[in-house]
Amino acid sequence: MEKKEVVFRIKRFNPKRDSEPYYQEYRITVPKGMTILEALHVIKDEIDPTLAFRSFCRSAICGSCAVKVNGFPKLACKTQVFSELDKFGTDTLTLEPLDNMEVIRDLIVDWDKPLKKMEEMKPYLIPDPSVVPSTLDEETRVYPEELKKYDRFTDCILCTSCFSACTAAQMDEGYGGPFQLARVYRFAVDKRDALKEERAKIGYAYDMWNCVRCEKCADVCPKHVGPVDGIMRLRGLSIKVGLKDNPGARHVFAFYKSILESGLLNEVLLPLRAKGIKGVLENLPVGIKMILKGKAHSPIMRPIAEHENLVKVMKAAMEVE
Amino acid sequence: MLTYDIVIVGAGGGGLYAALETSRRKGLKVAVLSKVYPTRSHTGAAQGGINAALGNVAPDSPEKHAYDTVKGSDFLADQDAVELMCEMAPKIIREMEHMGLPFSRLPDGRIAQRPFGGASFPRTCYAADKTGHVMLQTLYEQCIRFGVEFLNEWFALSLVHNGERIAGLTAVNLRTGEIVGIRAKAVILATGGHTRIYWKRTSNALGNTGDGPAMALRAGVPLKDMEFVQFHPTGLRRTGILVTEGARGEGGYLINAEGERFMKRYAPEKMELAPRDLVSRAIETEIMEGRGFEDEEGNKFVYLDLRHLGRKKILERLPQIRELAIDFEGVDPIEEPIPIRPTAHYSMGGIDTDKYGRTVIKGLYAVGECGCVSVHGANRLGGNSLLDIVVFGKIAGEDAAESVVGLELVDFPEVEVKEQEERIKSLFDGEGSEKLSQLRRELSDAMSEGVGIFRDEERIKRALEKVREIKERAKKLKVYDRELTFNTNLQQTLEFLNMVEVAETIALGALERKESRGAHARTDYPKRDDENFLKHSVIRRGEDGELRLTWKPVVITKFQPEERKY
Repeated sequence: MEKKEVVFRIKRFNPKRDSEPYYQEYRITVPKGMTILEALHVIKDEIDPTLAFRSFCRSAICGSCAVKVNGFPKLACKTQVFSELDKFGTDTLTLEPLDNMEVIRDLIVDWDKPLKKMEEMKPYLIPDPSVVPSTLDEETRVYPEELKKYDRFTDCILCTSCFSACTAAQMDEGYGGPFQLARVYRFAVDKRDALKEERAKIGYAYDMWNCVRCEKCADVCPKHVGPVDGIMRLRGLSIKVGLKDNPGARHVFAFYKSILESGLLNEVLLPLRAKGIKGVLENLPVGIKMILKGKAHSPIMRPIAEHENLVKVMKAAMEVE
Repeated sequence: MLTYDIVIVGAGGGGLYAALETSRRKGLKVAVLSKVYPTRSHTGAAQGGINAALGNVAPDSPEKHAYDTVKGSDFLADQDAVELMCEMAPKIIREMEHMGLPFSRLPDGRIAQRPFGGASFPRTCYAADKTGHVMLQTLYEQCIRFGVEFLNEWFALSLVHNGERIAGLTAVNLRTGEIVGIRAKAVILATGGHTRIYWKRTSNALGNTGDGPAMALRAGVPLKDMEFVQFHPTGLRRTGILVTEGARGEGGYLINAEGERFMKRYAPEKMELAPRDLVSRAIETEIMEGRGFEDEEGNKFVYLDLRHLGRKKILERLPQIRELAIDFEGVDPIEEPIPIRPTAHYSMGGIDTDKYGRTVIKGLYAVGECGCVSVHGANRLGGNSLLDIVVFGKIAGEDAAESVVGLELVDFPEVEVKEQEERIKSLFDGEGSEKLSQLRRELSDAMSEGVGIFRDEERIKRALEKVREIKERAKKLKVYDRELTFNTNLQQTLEFLNMVEVAETIALGALERKESRGAHARTDYPKRDDENFLKHSVIRRGEDGELRLTWKPVVITKFQPEERKY
């Protein structure tokens, strides 16, 4: 059977003892089919019992073992060593703890911060007495297409990979976080819930408009939940419940208006429409630079050819949504 | 020293349901203590579903559910407890539905149900193939809603009682390494199963190490029916990772190397949907008689073929199974059959309790897989474990909440904490001439060989001797990591010591039960022997440290034992 000598370069840190993190290398023989988690256990069992990492179900459902493999969050248990070696064209894999959380020891991070955030955001169904039966003799009727609206978002295993990769969480302490906001959306579209769309206000309070749509959360999610989709839909719901007078919503409307007018994005008017005079002032230095470099377009834009058809497509798409 | 009214050990479905139940009663100070964060527990790995006679797909009744369960148990289950569970099943399913659990639905909006092994009707409610996962998430969400307090990543070390009443427990806070005494008027153990003892081939999580039963044993609390270990028919070839019974429930075939659906020889009527003990024996027999496959690594297996179900059904009903097969076996079930072999899966035995989850010590409860009511007897039916944990979690939570009102705390001697500190210190100072990974492998081999799917006196005796030898050698283990912060080396050593203690009771029970019943298949006693063994084995550790086995009658109400045919 195929075997390879592999170097695992593991970031180690015990804040109680070490002044700063360091990397330690372990060389082991890896047979084809071995996962990163199995390799970690080989290292712990045969080379270094002091190496600290979490693991539990080893079948990609408990969310314990997420670590960074060559910079990308992965569940160690479902990631094959060979496939990572092939992907990076290397015989060395660097394992590090997830980002955006404090390191407790080695690959173990403190989950309390992101989980506390989720707890604050009412991540539970509050039954709507007009929908959920009052006795246990009956179940709520939920049709398969109603389940479909949130089914995917219930796949989240709280591994915090998305939180680790999240650009907004890194910059904004008040940001709810990808898996947390996706869970808010999950309940917002469950007809059994008493708050329903009103939950979008929780998303608003937790800075959901600060999501920059980098979509890293969707890329790294081992369960293919795609938190960003939930966040985008939650934004839509917030406009629906009347949260229109804020930079985020106005930004969306500015896009919408611009495309409706010309089929093109009017970047010159965007700051004004989204944030008003404040937006113009904020963007002024960049704007002047762009004008000087000849990169700015005229604020008046002529509609693209086929513009009418584009508007038809947009309207049809909105009806489907 | 911490003080609570109730401490629940374990944050799986049983522990969380108990916690929810206690949170309904205002003014009680309750904590859930778990060695992992909630939602990491192994309840989440349950895939196929949860049984309840809702009758949404075909007419059904709790009584028929009870009969199937009792028959599945090979008549060893206590029928009063089974009736209680099956009676409560529809209500508790709806209760969880009302909490938001995203069950799969029928076109008319009611909860969908699928066929499962050993059941007369499609009775298993499910959420695709991730039922345990969504159940655990839903219960956790509701625990947040009702402000349940969690002690995450605490490892329970010992139970403290005065011979009559529980006084609390000791535990180590893994994050700080501090050993803490916790006083409580009631302690509910919900620590899960122990088939990690079969280390090399099991569907269990790395932490399913029998911590609850081991603590109970050390505290003089008896264990029941420990010889009954369920081997799930369909574990993935290499890892033993679970492939849900739902795969066969949806119509999957088992195929041997001759291309034949071999179940026709073992269960002509139920075929692939016979109970697990029977299907596992059938697969092992095929392999032993040379009709299995063997790969280049020497793994022996048969096929679980889903291809005829078609892409749409596989993607809709078994999406997770497809992904597991791709990630862990490199096989896409839409295109190829999945190589599988039985895997150690579930412990029917556990801490001896009554139908309220009460043990012999007042205020000490055990629920779910770590306990034994018994509702599963000699063989558990698929879909009944998720039901067991929520029903008895609820009942025990309710009973504990009622019982602690107006009760005083029992004296908790400080020396109990000191003793645990000493015990752990002695592990740091161990001789180190034995190696943990080596002993764990030897334990796994001894148990698989001696008390696996087929057993006989000679093999069981060998296993028992080996386990006792390992127990002695384990005294020379050493914990090399001396840090206080998150010492996983200490944790894995403590878990191993727990497994060794529990393993001994499995072998002892298996030796004394000279018959074949359910999952306990003895080739030297191939028949069920109701005259001598229609009874529960009860093992307790005496003051002298020796295990003692006694017997306890089975409760029979409606269903007289009969031959078990499928």
